[in-house]
Amino acid sequence: MSGRLNFVLALALVLCALALVNAQYQARQLFIELERAASQSRQLDIEWAQLQLDQSTLGKNARIEASATRDLNMVPLTAARTQYLTVGEK
Amino acid sequence: MTRNPPRSSHTGRIAAGKGVPFSASPMLKVKLPVWRSRVVLFAMFAAFLALIVRALWLQGMSTDFLQKQGASRYARTLELPATRGKITDRNGQVLASSVPVKAIWAIPEDVQAAPKEKLQALAKLLDMSYAELSKKLDSDRNFVYLKRQVEQDVSDQIVKLGIDGIETRKEYKRFYPEGEVMAHVVGFTNVEDAGQDGMELSQQKNLAGTTGSRRVIKDRLGRIVEDIEAVKEPHDGKDLVLSIDSKIQYIAFTQLKEAVAKSKAKAGGIVVVDAKTGEVLALANLPSYNPNDRSVLTGAQLRNRVMTDTFEPGSTLKPFTVALALDTNRVQATTTFQVPDKMTIGTATVGDSHPHPVWNMSVAQIIQKSSNIGTAKIALQMPAEEMWEMFTTVGLGQQPKFGFPGAVAGRVRPFKSWRPIEQATMSYGHGISVSLIQMAHAYTIFARNGDLIPLSFQKVSEPPVGQRVVSEKTALTMRAMLERVTAPGGTAPKAQVPGYRVGGKTGTAYKIEGGKYVKKYIADFVGFAPASDPRLIIAVMVDEPSVGSHFGGDVAAPVFATVAANALRALNVSPDSTVTDIIIPTDGPQEGL
Repeated sequence: MSGRLNFVLALALVLCALALVNAQYQARQLFIELERAASQSRQLDIEWAQLQLDQSTLGKNARIEASATRDLNMVPLTAARTQYLTVGEK
Repeated sequence: MTRNPPRSSHTGRIAAGKGVPFSASPMLKVKLPVWRSRVVLFAMFAAFLALIVRALWLQGMSTDFLQKQGASRYARTLELPATRGKITDRNGQVLASSVPVKAIWAIPEDVQAAPKEKLQALAKLLDMSYAELSKKLDSDRNFVYLKRQVEQDVSDQIVKLGIDGIETRKEYKRFYPEGEVMAHVVGFTNVEDAGQDGMELSQQKNLAGTTGSRRVIKDRLGRIVEDIEAVKEPHDGKDLVLSIDSKIQYIAFTQLKEAVAKSKAKAGGIVVVDAKTGEVLALANLPSYNPNDRSVLTGAQLRNRVMTDTFEPGSTLKPFTVALALDTNRVQATTTFQVPDKMTIGTATVGDSHPHPVWNMSVAQIIQKSSNIGTAKIALQMPAEEMWEMFTTVGLGQQPKFGFPGAVAGRVRPFKSWRPIEQATMSYGHGISVSLIQMAHAYTIFARNGDLIPLSFQKVSEPPVGQRVVSEKTALTMRAMLERVTAPGGTAPKAQVPGYRVGGKTGTAYKIEGGKYVKKYIADFVGFAPASDPRLIIAVMVDEPSVGSHFGGDVAAPVFATVAANALRALNVSPDSTVTDIIIPTDGPQEGL
């Protein structure tokens, strides 16, 4: 009787040990995935900063004015050629 | 070997090999000396003892060392970098941003072995000659920077070359998309990403991040599998939102540049302030520099004249003298004075800039025509202490609290040492020194019904609380007078803006070199628009205009006019005047010096 109990307990112990190994392995896999996602998020952050910078560089006033006057032949407006409208007036 | 026959009674156990029972083994009969077994026993005991001692030694005494050695084989400490905060303008446009780049460094000894063609390729990628590279590598040290702030794609190519002893290190490079236009406001950082000038310097503490670190276990493929200590999180620097409006800044910079080029001036400065909130919408200086390429920088380019240069404000100071006289009921706008073109006080004689017969001038006309004598006559009715108090209250001669590095206090001498002649000249802005931003700040009392508000370089969420300096009535009267300065017959008709009523005051001052006035001028103009409910205060200063007129009304006022017109339109301020075409008289009066 006691020999049988010992056997069952030993089996349970082995199973638990294997489960622990497996759980640890799974945990590490998930951790690696988390790491990968975190580094991707950092990378995307950097890319976003770069894109914001590009937007500022391409949208800076000096460039807009240059292309408006040179490429599109636009001229600055003057008050004399502006029609002002007031809300609520007939 | 056997000396006795086997005994038959012991058949139970058989001696191995020969079929002799164990108990009958003749070997048992051999008598050995007792010490031999003792020696064996002792040897075994000693061996066990040695093992136990060793085990205790490892476990007890050198455990720290061993654990450290173990950890160093699987655990790594990673540095978690923090990015410096961005600087944006009030509308979120990026003015400065850090982008990760690489520093390329070498262990010279290891690189010596590399084939020449690879080193040539490396030199080409690093944008230097092969000779230059060899010179850098010819060193006894085991750490040499080859080049810093190399962009990512170039550094990737360098890594691909696979030269032994060439390593990279992550660092940050700061980019300034607006370049020279914003240079003096934003400032710049050095290669270590630390602020050196402008807002980068004054806000260094908030902008800089703190790097974090973490200790991890890596597997054999170099992947992180576990944290073994609590992670020390990195904290990125805070983003900084400036009060600057890129559009107005650009307008101000280009207009100033044009004016400085046209009059072949040495330098110039302009500042645009929002009269409602005290926010600085634009601040530009000339000459300027490109913060992205600082290889050739001169002190003149770096100088933030608006903040750090003081000059004698000249006539732009007159409104404060007059406002004080009005506020204390010593004069009214209509009070008239007999104004000759020269006046002697004590031993010195002061004069207006142009000879004229004795005029009967009202206070309003004194401001409009900018008469030195008229202002002096008003000033001499007042005690020096009151004038000193007025100048000091509006911030002149006081250390400014703008949160900007290098802002100067200017100089207003203590009233006790004022002689009458000095009180007279100070009333029209001589013998006193201010910076341009102080003038713009002081003018808030006229643009804002009599109260003074603090200026800010950062976006303000709530309108600030003002400090009353003069009464509302005085401020409104002054505003009406200053508006007449820009009308035909005033000193600055060129400051007029189509569609808007504007007011302001011109100034032209001699420069002082080595303690003496020299024949070099600073032309300035400080004004506000629209006059019915001022939204902007614009102060312009042009240093040493050398071609054409040197008067503030001719050099600085037109800059005010174009900047005001464009900025008001950019801010969607509705016009308060129906005049859309402006006729500027060709022979307007010139202001006093």
